[in-house]
Amino acid sequence: MTSKDLVLESAADRTIRFERDALVFTNQLYAAALRYTKNPEDARDLVQDTYLKAFASFHQFEEGTNLRAWLYRVLTTTFINTYRKGQRQPQIANNELEDWQVAEAQSHTSDLGKSAEQEALENLPDSDIKRALHEIPEEFRIVVYLADVEGFSYKEIAEIVGAPAGTVMSRLHRGRKQLREKLASYAKELGYTTDAPASSQSKKKGGAE
Amino acid sequence: MSYIEIQCGDVLASVVFIIEGELQEIPQAAAIQSHLVTCAPCSAELEHERLMQQMLQDVLKRTCDEQAPEDLHQSIHRQLRAQMAGAGATEVVTQFSMTEISIEIDEFGNVEHREIQIEQTHIQHFIDDED
Repeated sequence: MTSKDLVLESAADRTIRFERDALVFTNQLYAAALRYTKNPEDARDLVQDTYLKAFASFHQFEEGTNLRAWLYRVLTTTFINTYRKGQRQPQIANNELEDWQVAEAQSHTSDLGKSAEQEALENLPDSDIKRALHEIPEEFRIVVYLADVEGFSYKEIAEIVGAPAGTVMSRLHRGRKQLREKLASYAKELGYTTDAPASSQSKKKGGAE
Repeated sequence: MSYIEIQCGDVLASVVFIIEGELQEIPQAAAIQSHLVTCAPCSAELEHERLMQQMLQDVLKRTCDEQAPEDLHQSIHRQLRAQMAGAGATEVVTQFSMTEISIEIDEFGNVEHREIQIEQTHIQHFIDDED
């Protein structure tokens, strides 16, 4: 019988481990923070706060679980609790629909509407994509960002934002829809899309008559 | 007729679940699946939605790839070091590993050899709160 290895992780070792494993996400977190806060100064502060908070509770992080998702959770809760205060955000929680019923009934999109949407996405410059993201409500923006830029599953997003999975799916659906509507309307303003009927079709609110 | 209209509406309202590969999460999953097989407008719509979703993801990923300013990296590093020096949070990890070996020889001279490996890790955190 052998007994061995009393390993003591010093504060210095833990700092090195944290820096090695967590700091590789700085650029990614900064890009997310820019979309959350909409300005570079706040984004900087948010990323810094996120790392300091994450480091302070790093002992609670279970090794082997998803560190990136955990950092996004810290980023998102820090943003919601700190940076959002004082800003009046549109309330969307009251008209959340049933979990599975994420959208109002819809009718089929015409071919013209389809091609207008496609042209909008093909032609719009990055600045307009950012503008559209910044204009949709924050709750939508966060889940769309986490899903479509970061590639988190909706269940992971539910953990990150602290909302039920059904709510996340609903926000994801409506956020993407609003984003596409905004992009289609910018494209129309800028004359990127072919003609008026196509654009108005793509902008319709989706009620089934 | 009205039956088909309701079905189309339900299918279109559930597109996000289909695109996310989570159709099984909703009660009418089977009905939606079979509707999609027979309804050409709905399957065209789904195809369009998949294409749009792919394009949307591509433009979002392309757009949202800003690099953090160099001094932010440095500033985070500095602050972590300062926090480390300030707060004496210590973690003690104790690992035990035990190997039990038994050898049995029966009356016919057959040798039976067994080895059991037991490992245990214990992590304890001591946090010295900052004042």
